[in-house]
Amino acid sequence: MQGQLVMENFYSAPDIFIPEINFNAQTGHLSISGESYHEYTLEFYKPVFEWLSEYLKTPGRHIVFDFCMSYYNTSTSRRFMEIFDLLAEYQQSGKGTVTINWYYKPEDIDMKESGEEYAEDTGLHFNLIPLTK
Amino acid sequence: MSATEQSFSIYEFYRRLKVHHLSLVAQGIMSQDLLSLIALSIKRRPDNEVIARRLFALVVELAQNILHYSAVKEFSAKDQREVGVGIVAIGESDTHYLVASGNVAQPENAAYVARHCDYINQLDPDELREYYRQQRRLPVKEGSVGGSIGLIEIVRKSGQPLSYEIIPIEDDKVFLIFVAKVNKSLNPHVD
Repeated sequence: MQGQLVMENFYSAPDIFIPEINFNAQTGHLSISGESYHEYTLEFYKPVFEWLSEYLKTPGRHIVFDFCMSYYNTSTSRRFMEIFDLLAEYQQSGKGTVTINWYYKPEDIDMKESGEEYAEDTGLHFNLIPLTK
Repeated sequence: MSATEQSFSIYEFYRRLKVHHLSLVAQGIMSQDLLSLIALSIKRRPDNEVIARRLFALVVELAQNILHYSAVKEFSAKDQREVGVGIVAIGESDTHYLVASGNVAQPENAAYVARHCDYINQLDPDELREYYRQQRRLPVKEGSVGGSIGLIEIVRKSGQPLSYEIIPIEDDKVFLIFVAKVNKSLNPHVD
């Protein structure tokens, strides 16, 4: 019998127009933070989708996904929707659990609203959390 | 075609920018590096962070429209591909910030965008919200590399209609112009 394949963590360093992405395969703690207005989001997020698809093949995971974005463009907004769809499917098929922590600056009503809209559209559990600092 | 042959006066240019209260004009490749610089200069200006971010969103969506859809393209060594060129200007009045963009387009593409723009301009905020979410769910159209929901986002962030103009130019092309505005104070379009 083959042993369980241990997945590598995923890390992508931030730049001014791309977020920091940090996925811990062992703890199930995934996070994405910063700004995202890359011109070619399909290309930029491709490795993210590859990693996630692989990660979600294994049942029994308890995923906590932190979104701590200060700005993202509409192209990125589509990629986020696709990420949520993957996660929602994982949860709905009973393979595991997913919690989204959606952080926003207290004054940023637009970012809060974006989180509310994603929550309604995906059926995932969103914690909308104002940043204290 | 050099600037000196056209007797270009940077003073005249400066004066015209002042007359129209334009603080920033960029022409050429709308790269994300350029957008990053614009972001830094915008964040320094409006007192309100939310307004600044809305203004920046207008710039990004208009600039990336140009990058993906302009009929005039240049080779970007950094991107290793042809990218669209155009012009983006940021200005202000007493009550609003304004972003204007322009690029050469095929007439049929400009006409398509104009119809899309007419449609979203007559939606109320709730309808816009629904339309945005509905469009985000749809697969992207053939040949589209951007989000395809940029114009909806602009009208939502702006809180008012997006005006456009289509000017016929040489070679059966048109110059497609957008002007988006955002209120300087947090307006009641978001409850």
